[in-house]
Amino acid sequence: MSNKEASLKGLLLVVLLVSIMLLTKEGVTSLPICSTGSVNCQVSLGELFDRAVKLSHYIHFLSSEMFNEFDEHYGQGRHFIARAVNSCHTSSLTTPEDKEQAQQIHHEALLNLVLGMLRSWNEPLIHLASEVQRIKEAPDTILRKAVEIEEQNKRLLEGMEKIVGRVHSGEVGNEIYSQWEGLPSLQLADEDSRLSAFYNLLHCFHRDSHKIDNYLKLLKCRLIHGSNC
Amino acid sequence: MDLWHLLFTLALVCASDSLSASGEPLRWPQISKCRSPELETFSCYWTDGNIYNLTAPGTIQLLYMKRNDEDWKECPDYITAGENSCYFNTSYTSIWIPYCVKLANKDEVFDEKCFSVDEIVLPDPPVHLNWTLLNTSQTGIHGDIQVRWDPPPTADVQKGWITLEYELQYKEVNETKWKELEPRLSTMVPLYSLKMGRDYEIRVRSRQRTSEKFGEFSEILYVSFSQAGIEFVHCAEDIEFPWFLVVVFGACGLAITVILILLSKQPRLKMLIFPPVPVPKIKGIDPDLLKKGKLDEVNSILASHDNYKTQLYNDDLWVEFIELDIEDPDEKNRVSDTDRLLSEDHLKSHSCLGAKDDDSGRASCCEPDIPETDFSASDTCDAISDIDQFKKVTEKEDLLCLDRKDNDESLPSLANTDTQEPHMNTQSENSQPWPPFADRIDSASPSVHTQLSNQNSLTNTDFYAQVSDITPAGSVVLSPGQKSKVGRAQFDGCTEQNFPMDNAYFCEADVKKCIAVTSHEEDELHVQEQSCNEDAYFTTESLTTTVVNLGASTAETPSSEMPVPDYTSIHIVHSPQGLVLNATALPVPDKEFNMSCGYVSTDQLNKIMP
Repeated sequence: MSNKEASLKGLLLVVLLVSIMLLTKEGVTSLPICSTGSVNCQVSLGELFDRAVKLSHYIHFLSSEMFNEFDEHYGQGRHFIARAVNSCHTSSLTTPEDKEQAQQIHHEALLNLVLGMLRSWNEPLIHLASEVQRIKEAPDTILRKAVEIEEQNKRLLEGMEKIVGRVHSGEVGNEIYSQWEGLPSLQLADEDSRLSAFYNLLHCFHRDSHKIDNYLKLLKCRLIHGSNC
Repeated sequence: MDLWHLLFTLALVCASDSLSASGEPLRWPQISKCRSPELETFSCYWTDGNIYNLTAPGTIQLLYMKRNDEDWKECPDYITAGENSCYFNTSYTSIWIPYCVKLANKDEVFDEKCFSVDEIVLPDPPVHLNWTLLNTSQTGIHGDIQVRWDPPPTADVQKGWITLEYELQYKEVNETKWKELEPRLSTMVPLYSLKMGRDYEIRVRSRQRTSEKFGEFSEILYVSFSQAGIEFVHCAEDIEFPWFLVVVFGACGLAITVILILLSKQPRLKMLIFPPVPVPKIKGIDPDLLKKGKLDEVNSILASHDNYKTQLYNDDLWVEFIELDIEDPDEKNRVSDTDRLLSEDHLKSHSCLGAKDDDSGRASCCEPDIPETDFSASDTCDAISDIDQFKKVTEKEDLLCLDRKDNDESLPSLANTDTQEPHMNTQSENSQPWPPFADRIDSASPSVHTQLSNQNSLTNTDFYAQVSDITPAGSVVLSPGQKSKVGRAQFDGCTEQNFPMDNAYFCEADVKKCIAVTSHEEDELHVQEQSCNEDAYFTTESLTTTVVNLGASTAETPSSEMPVPDYTSIHIVHSPQGLVLNATALPVPDKEFNMSCGYVSTDQLNKIMP
């Protein structure tokens, strides 16, 4: 009888192990291999860039959808002035405007730029997630996307800081930063004005997320694949 | 000439008026679209409309302005992109910068549009589509192919400046509807399970991101397996697995099988598929009896589970089984127990009695050292009866032996044994001097039948029956008990020669009385009479062996002091002179039977014994 029990226990253990493996297998690719603070652990730069590009692509996808939904829901009958796009808070940052400029800029500078932009958007996204809930009859999809964008942006920021820490030979500069002061505009009493403010913010983020995504893909192809993606 | 000029212009005006009066709507020039194929350049297209500039075909201009510009600038290139277009090359293009373009002539603005270049990306179609065969199925009917293409040449995917996702569509040549695959980033796609006998068409298109529209389709790729020289099986029709037929036939077959099993007489098969539900069963017991039998029978059945107990009890202590319950209300319905006892089938009567009687308190008969006494819930000797015997009995279910047949059987056997007895006894040396007795007994024996029948009618309470002898055959010979009351009447008229014919058995005292009527004192007679008042039995043997010398024996008859017992034991047998009756020493029933006058009942024994 003891043999039987032992074999049964062994089988149970095996089943348990296999199930744990299968359950956590999904999380292996998404969880960081190296936890924060670990010294000896080394994730390859290519792996880091892959994750960063995936995140930035996803963030841009969310922002596009959110912007389109907002425009569909609230943009009917309102003429949101496109020129209001000029008033993005990150416009002060000098970023490459076309491919030649982007190719000419040094990758470290570009990385710093990306990092600065991410940092600049951290706070506005937090406020966006909280303020968008106060919009009258805001659809659930917009609310959920706002929260999701804010989370993913944080993760991308962490990842970028890691990459910058790896790539940078010299000291890491925190100069690139653009302060956002658009919070009062999101809390205006006049609904039309407030909605316009939201529209601007979403449009600005839609554009900036595309910039970040493009820069990172460019850097990835340049640094990891030798400009041969 | 001037006149002709005037007429010509008039005609033109009239024509133009007529044209305008025909009702055709006036369409203004419009910017139809602005697109950037690769995120590096962009171009805008417009339509003319149907305005005809009367004065002069004015030039339509496209003006643009970037975010930081102060003034409108004119389109740098009207030619490269074709007619009614404006092409902005890389130097004029800035991504993520808002542009505004307007269509105007000198006087008026026809249309205006604002956008940023990253929002108007519409890639060119992919190029260089080709396919390769991956594998074919074993039947040769289907095959897998891999389709590959190159990104549009204008898009700089290599450097990662732009990322495109592709959508492939395919269909058979004679079909109308295209099948779509999901958009993916890779430039190669496998197509599975294409029919090798058919030709296919494949096309691909691309877009920058999910929220935008697709670009134009690529050129159609034709897939033809025959041209590639691949061997295949040409099927005229589609062979599909007949699922419907399989299901229907399977269900029918299963139903038929089940019905056949249910209806089949073969118990084995039926039991295999539909095993019977086990019914509670006790070994050795017929379940029908449990349903129909009476409580007494059931008790006896449950208690009777031992085989070899019967053998023991057949030899020993079977005397005790003779005890009968006088309080049984069914007495009248049954034959006298004596008859049953006398029957040869003593075992059967055994069981009859055993089954019926359960309150006699015969705990002593069940020996404790017999291991298999689990079932003896009642401390009766019912457990002793033979199982086999019982099985035979249960078939008849007549445990009370109400069957008349038993009586009939018993009587002749009784007669037989009786006849045997005297003969046997005559053989002994003691019997010689008493042939008349024997004869008389012989003569008496034919009348046994009647007497017994009289017994049946007269007495229903035969408590005890003395066992006189065991025949060699193994049957028990009993001396039927006869109430002295019955016989006494006849005894009174007893003369020397006139033996009462009613009674085959005589009490010693009675015999003495009859033989020597006046020989004894009155008290003796009285005593003897008294002794004969009770159920007095006298064995034939003892009768024969008793000597006339009754005087000696009478002296030893039990004194009148003691309560008169039914039976008097014989102390000494002075054969052939006579018997010496033991007054005090009463026989304990054991294996060897004393030739006693009678049998002492247990009650009397208890009284007598000190």
